[in-house]
Amino acid sequence: MMNFEEQVTNDIFSRRELLLRGGAGFGALALSGLLARDNALAKAARPSFLQPHFAPRAKRVIFLFMEGGPSHIDLFDPKPLLNKLAGQRMPESFKRPITAMGETESPLLASPRTWKRHGQSGTWVSDWLPHTAGCVDDLAVIRSCWTNGINHSGGVCQMNTGQPLAGRPSLGSWVNYGLGTENENLPAFVVMTDTKSTPTNGPRNWSAGFMPAAYQGIRLNPGEEPFRHLNIPKGVTPQTHRRKLELLRRLNEQHRATREHQSELEARIRSYELAYRMQATAPEAVDLSRESEATKRLYGFGNQDTEPFGRCCLLARRMVERGVRFVQIYHGAGSKWDSHSKMEENHSRQCRQSDLPTAGLLKDLKSRGLLEETLVIWGGEFGRTPMSEKGDGRDHNPTGFTMWMAGGGVRGGQVIGATDELGLWATENRLHVHDLHATVLHLLGIHNLDLIYHYKGRPENPTINEGEAYTKITSG
Amino acid sequence: MIQRLAILWVLLDGSVLAVEFTQADRDWWAFQPVRQAAVPDAGGDWAINEIDHFIARRLAAQELSPATAADRRTLIRRVCLDLTGLPPAPEQIAEFLDDDSPDAYERLVDRLLDSPRYGEGQATFWLDLVRYADSDGYKSDHYRPEAWRYRDYVIRSFNTDKPYDRFVSEQLAGDEIDPGNRDALIATMFLRHWIYEYNQRDVETQWNDILADVTNVTGDVFLGMGLQCARCHDHKFDPILQRDYYRMKAFFAPLLPRDSMPVGTVPQRTEFFRQHKAWAAATGDIRKQLHAIEQLALLKNTTGEGFNKFIDKIKAMIRKRPQDRTAYERQIAELSERQFGVEPEKLPERLKGATREEWEQLRAELKTFEEQKPKPLPQVKFVVSDAGPVAPATRIPKKGDVVEPGFLSILDPGSARITPPRAALQSTGRRTALAQWITRPDNPLTSRVMVNRLWQQHFGRGLAANVSDFGKLGELPTHPELLDWLAARFVANDWSLKKMHRLMVTSATYRQAAANEQSERIDPANTWFARTAIQRLSAEQVRDGLLALSGELDLKSGGEGVVADKSNRRAIYRKVMRNNPDEVMHTFDMPDHISHMPQRNVTTTATQSLLLLNSEWTRKRAAALAKRLAKRHPGNAEAQITDAHELAFGQAPLPSQLNDALAFLDACGAANKPSGLAALTEYCHVLMNANAFLYVD
Repeated sequence: MMNFEEQVTNDIFSRRELLLRGGAGFGALALSGLLARDNALAKAARPSFLQPHFAPRAKRVIFLFMEGGPSHIDLFDPKPLLNKLAGQRMPESFKRPITAMGETESPLLASPRTWKRHGQSGTWVSDWLPHTAGCVDDLAVIRSCWTNGINHSGGVCQMNTGQPLAGRPSLGSWVNYGLGTENENLPAFVVMTDTKSTPTNGPRNWSAGFMPAAYQGIRLNPGEEPFRHLNIPKGVTPQTHRRKLELLRRLNEQHRATREHQSELEARIRSYELAYRMQATAPEAVDLSRESEATKRLYGFGNQDTEPFGRCCLLARRMVERGVRFVQIYHGAGSKWDSHSKMEENHSRQCRQSDLPTAGLLKDLKSRGLLEETLVIWGGEFGRTPMSEKGDGRDHNPTGFTMWMAGGGVRGGQVIGATDELGLWATENRLHVHDLHATVLHLLGIHNLDLIYHYKGRPENPTINEGEAYTKITSG
Repeated sequence: MIQRLAILWVLLDGSVLAVEFTQADRDWWAFQPVRQAAVPDAGGDWAINEIDHFIARRLAAQELSPATAADRRTLIRRVCLDLTGLPPAPEQIAEFLDDDSPDAYERLVDRLLDSPRYGEGQATFWLDLVRYADSDGYKSDHYRPEAWRYRDYVIRSFNTDKPYDRFVSEQLAGDEIDPGNRDALIATMFLRHWIYEYNQRDVETQWNDILADVTNVTGDVFLGMGLQCARCHDHKFDPILQRDYYRMKAFFAPLLPRDSMPVGTVPQRTEFFRQHKAWAAATGDIRKQLHAIEQLALLKNTTGEGFNKFIDKIKAMIRKRPQDRTAYERQIAELSERQFGVEPEKLPERLKGATREEWEQLRAELKTFEEQKPKPLPQVKFVVSDAGPVAPATRIPKKGDVVEPGFLSILDPGSARITPPRAALQSTGRRTALAQWITRPDNPLTSRVMVNRLWQQHFGRGLAANVSDFGKLGELPTHPELLDWLAARFVANDWSLKKMHRLMVTSATYRQAAANEQSERIDPANTWFARTAIQRLSAEQVRDGLLALSGELDLKSGGEGVVADKSNRRAIYRKVMRNNPDEVMHTFDMPDHISHMPQRNVTTTATQSLLLLNSEWTRKRAAALAKRLAKRHPGNAEAQITDAHELAFGQAPLPSQLNDALAFLDACGAANKPSGLAALTEYCHVLMNANAFLYVD
């Protein structure tokens, strides 16, 4: 047990440290809720924030979230047996999972795709993703992902927070907590959606859960006000605005004069200065008029199918260029990849919208030398079943699906793991969501079990005491 | 040498299981009986009540002196916000300043405790603890149209100063201990606040998670013990065994969510039960035949998520007649049945030929017994009962051992003694046994945990800093004798919360000023309470405070929740939608109400500043305040400024502040047309951003 002297010293230390840290979160200046709780175990845990545990390969992350569940067996994981057995019930030798729509015994649905090996690596990609196929030598395709959430809500929640039940911080929040931002004037964790629809679970997906709200993702809106309440209200002139801030500063200084030891008060004063600086900085960060036509074409501008997601991808590049730590883009926000019926129509559309901008982002990052330190992740909350649903669709498949990672130290041109002969269960090198998260953190130089936040007296970590990084992802 | 206490269980198969706790485990402070410590004589003239003597003794030991007393304006703002969540109105301030009787402050405190605003202000911290919400969470985040009754129950209980032991018992077992009391049944909504996914086909896993959630929150809220670590293994730091987790969980094993729960006293329920049994016996055969016909047709055409998506095991449970289901089958079947609807009104068209005839004949026969059927009792929704008098077995996962309900072994290794309630309640009595154990006057955790929560509210941090974790990961109490003395006093005062609040806020310790140079230097964390900690207003206080000073606050009490943006009622009455938190509340650290929150985070962010500076919501408050001031003091800028200061900060402006304000109004007035009100609005807007408003000291 810590004695009281030590405790007091710790308090002084942590207060000062918190103030000095400054940029944790979107201009978070004081997090006094942390003070009381961090002490008891602070000694036991290694210093858990604002410095990686070991040399990172990646400094930033862009997570392209294909929301609704893309079909791995129609995109990255070809299954000849599926077409052979199409129309029949799954052989008894396959273990039955609990599925969302109860389609365990429905006839198997063939994949009508044309498959080809691409690049020097010869990675299989279907004809639905011709542009991504051109980048396979940069991708590590992970065919053996699995998760627990069988529904969208649980699945999306788990892919973000590690568990299907709500309440935990999102991966981006953990990274924000662990590493902070490189640009105090922008959020460390930015979220975008390709449409106006809200992703399943809404803002809870990028929430900080039990951590202070300062670590949550901040939504970036294309348009005149990139971050909420950034702009001076209509009818207030810049001159009046400055005058108000000046009066506020005087009031606060007078208030503080008799309370000089209260660091929160100083932090609050600084938060207004920071707000003012953000108002000056953010508009430039999102100003796409500075991008060349060639760049815009790369991302699919000028085509109504590809432009919405392309715009998000281009903004993502601008964000990581400016030191934003974690960017997440929802493609198909509102479960648009969900294809319980009319697989063909659904995935043709989803792929048409996302494929070219995804490849554009990879190429652009690469040509600017950013890919080396930027980890790009592609995937949804789960895959889809080999069994059919409603004749021409597929049910949710959490027990085996594909994601890919590129950049940020990942060795491209490799395929990791495998599913069974029908693509139902992950069988080789199975990587649970916790393992995937641990791998992302590993690339960022963080050991997943050593990033600790104390909540209710419990030392919490991002992968809930589980998860092992697939470290071979850097070497293959 | 470590002494060990071995606890032995004789298992059903005759084998003996031994568990050992170390002497250190047994000596852990939180498990010791509450000691009725003698009040030290240490506070001298400074002390007002017993609290101060305990505090003074530690201050002396640390060579610290208490701060001077806060001035009256500071004190009234502090105590109003602490007890009611609202800043004092200028009239309240004037009344207090004008009252020069020696007990003016005590009488102010009594007025506040008697005000309906007290319960509204206090309910906030309780709703954080129980993760209250008006929606399911998950994808659809469905609205819960009945949940607000629980919020009102909490407010009512605080306002009437319901003894805390009764308050706890009603929430855990109101259906068993007072089944004819609607309020006691509403209290059991405590066991309904879990997040819920309406279309989760893995029903058994979801149910298991719900029971775990209920177990966890019970440990967190009432016992200040984080149990959840022990769900998968013996607790790594505290003497909580995995077996204990399941012993605690077993109290909830028979739980059944109820949306048509009868309200009736034991005699009423007994009479109803008797009549119903007679009717059921007389109509048994008819209903059995009817079930066979109807169910087939009903399950063929289901609405909602439908019947066919479930696995066979669950389908079989649903197909069983309710009276043939075991308690566990009833739980799972009823949870599954929430996912789909049946259409009995369409039976006449769906049944054909001979079946139809047989059905009609059976229906007619059944009708002849209608008079024997008991009249239905009034009902209440969104509450709980047990699934029957026999509880499903509780097993430790992987090990498979069946465990009986029991408490933390370190405190009480035996199985709980359970008295089954009257047969008419069809309940096990397990939760009553749990409530009785938690509210025993000699339970070392319950009273300590609660007085420590109140202390945190008034003094910024608990005497034990981790208010929901009295285990080894929490910190040791700074004033263990005081904590015990308060806990004992709490129980001796019939668990009265109001008396405890009164004791705390009338102490000299509470009345100190925030400034104490010596304490700030030596004890920056204010561990020894030699001054008052400056605190930022909570989310509710920011919102309600802005509406109060703009004159827009609607003080209507109770009823269904409102949408925060569209109403000027107090924040406690807004709907808490888990997936759509209100912006102002969320920005100022309101928790997500998905899990238990014992102590809110307090952040200082630019996001907050941007919201207060630029959002339309704040602008509207500023405009309303400007209008209010213009009306109260037409044409008199000085009076407007003075009033605005008093409303926003509880203080009169300094001469220099008055000058600054006048200069600001002049400059803005010149720059903006039309001048007067627009300039005043900008001025009010500045006050709403000021630290003197956002902090209380």
